[in-house]
Amino acid sequence: MNAPTVRVLYIDDEENNLHAFKAGFRRQYEIYTAISAAEGLKILENISVHVIIADQKMPQTTGVEFFKSIINTYPDPIRILLTGYTDIEALADAINHGDIYRYITKPWNDLELHNSIKNAYDAYKAKIDLRNKIAELEKTNDELNRFIYSISHELRAPLVSAMGIVNLVKMEGLFNSSGEYWGLIETCSNKLDYYIQKTLQYYKNNKTVAKHTSVEFSKLINELIELYSYSDRDTHFHVEIKQDVPFYGDAFRIEVILGNLISNAIKYQKEDEKNKKVDINVNVTPAAVEITIADNGMGILNEHLEKIFTQFFKSKINHGSGLGLFIVKEALNKINGKISVSSNTTDGTTFKITIPNVK
Amino acid sequence: MEQLLKLQSLMLSKYKKVMLVDDNEVDLKINSKIISISKLFDETILCQSGEEALSYLSKHIDDVSNLPDFILLDIQMPEMDGFEFLEIYKKFPASVTDKCLIAILSSTLDFGDIKKAEANPHVIKLLKKPLFPQELEKLLHKYFA
Repeated sequence: MNAPTVRVLYIDDEENNLHAFKAGFRRQYEIYTAISAAEGLKILENISVHVIIADQKMPQTTGVEFFKSIINTYPDPIRILLTGYTDIEALADAINHGDIYRYITKPWNDLELHNSIKNAYDAYKAKIDLRNKIAELEKTNDELNRFIYSISHELRAPLVSAMGIVNLVKMEGLFNSSGEYWGLIETCSNKLDYYIQKTLQYYKNNKTVAKHTSVEFSKLINELIELYSYSDRDTHFHVEIKQDVPFYGDAFRIEVILGNLISNAIKYQKEDEKNKKVDINVNVTPAAVEITIADNGMGILNEHLEKIFTQFFKSKINHGSGLGLFIVKEALNKINGKISVSSNTTDGTTFKITIPNVK
Repeated sequence: MEQLLKLQSLMLSKYKKVMLVDDNEVDLKINSKIISISKLFDETILCQSGEEALSYLSKHIDDVSNLPDFILLDIQMPEMDGFEFLEIYKKFPASVTDKCLIAILSSTLDFGDIKKAEANPHVIKLLKKPLFPQELEKLLHKYFA
């Protein structure tokens, strides 16, 4: 690989210095020289240089004044100030307003100047690389956002139409007209819809910044029960909520967490259980909310308890997606919440969560 | 399910006209069928775009009997989306906006869309597709009782 061509512009009102600079560095760099700030500007207009070296003491425009003047028009080149005096004021001004990378005293030492130019070019490259990376990331992010948005619309819309057709078939009494085929279509559609919803939840949980609003648990929990018990009216809920103080937290994530736990409590009931029930207890204090969700469902095998929060963990008997509890855990992590579970296959499962009250 | 259907067919359709606004022909067909089977309305007005719905409303602006009692509005539609429809709708006189209650019917899962829909003073609820007749009936009960 060839060494990159580094373009250096040197501005100095002393012709001798320009010559000396050229003689000393032309082998390593592509050098442009200018006898005044105005000349230097002309070169900048035509050549994209990487490093600008300017003498401080020049008639009309000083080095710092020149650097200040191009800070908006040519922000990219790295600036080095050369001066014969140790002029503290000029130095302070240069650092504060001229975006100077290095300050070198005259007469310069060739090795020092050479190193400075080399480092300046590296800084230039790093700056440009970073900018390109950021642009690339912004583009990827933007595409991902649009992709997710389109999943939630374009991909889901036709699926939902198909689910609508199945409803219609039921209403017209044709559901059992083709053996179990309609039922199978319904199962498949619901499964796909579930995956789409979980994928979106996971993604949004990762992306969204926590927004704190007031949460009213009795309203939220009743809405969620209403939503998830739609397909299963057999399960009886017993809800006890003690909320004497306002609670502030991330409503979106709390909804995701409770939604997943409530829908699991409904889904994983014992089939032959006559008295399917879920107890929900909420206790809000100024410090936190403690929520217990206890079901008398099929329970979780002891050896599975440690794995239920891992992504894509599924047990053989229960055909979950392996996403629900994983998302619960991820969402709790984002809002500093905690979860614990106790379960056995006789009595069912109890989840306990604690979420800090942020106000 | 069958029992429920019977129950519904015994009920008179209390609410007269419903308007469905949806660019998706399949959904328009499915949802109007669901509404007609569940006998929740006497008449269904189908509009394939927000513009079509607005022009219907303007045409019957002084003719209350032809105005829908209820509008089910989709969000994602080309050109004029549901929110743009609502922006224009709110400029209609109170004689129209008081009569036509609006619910959003959308397949969206976008949190922003949902929040935006629920915040709109003209929207009584956001229903998610697929449309369940029981859910619709419950909503109608609440608002028309």
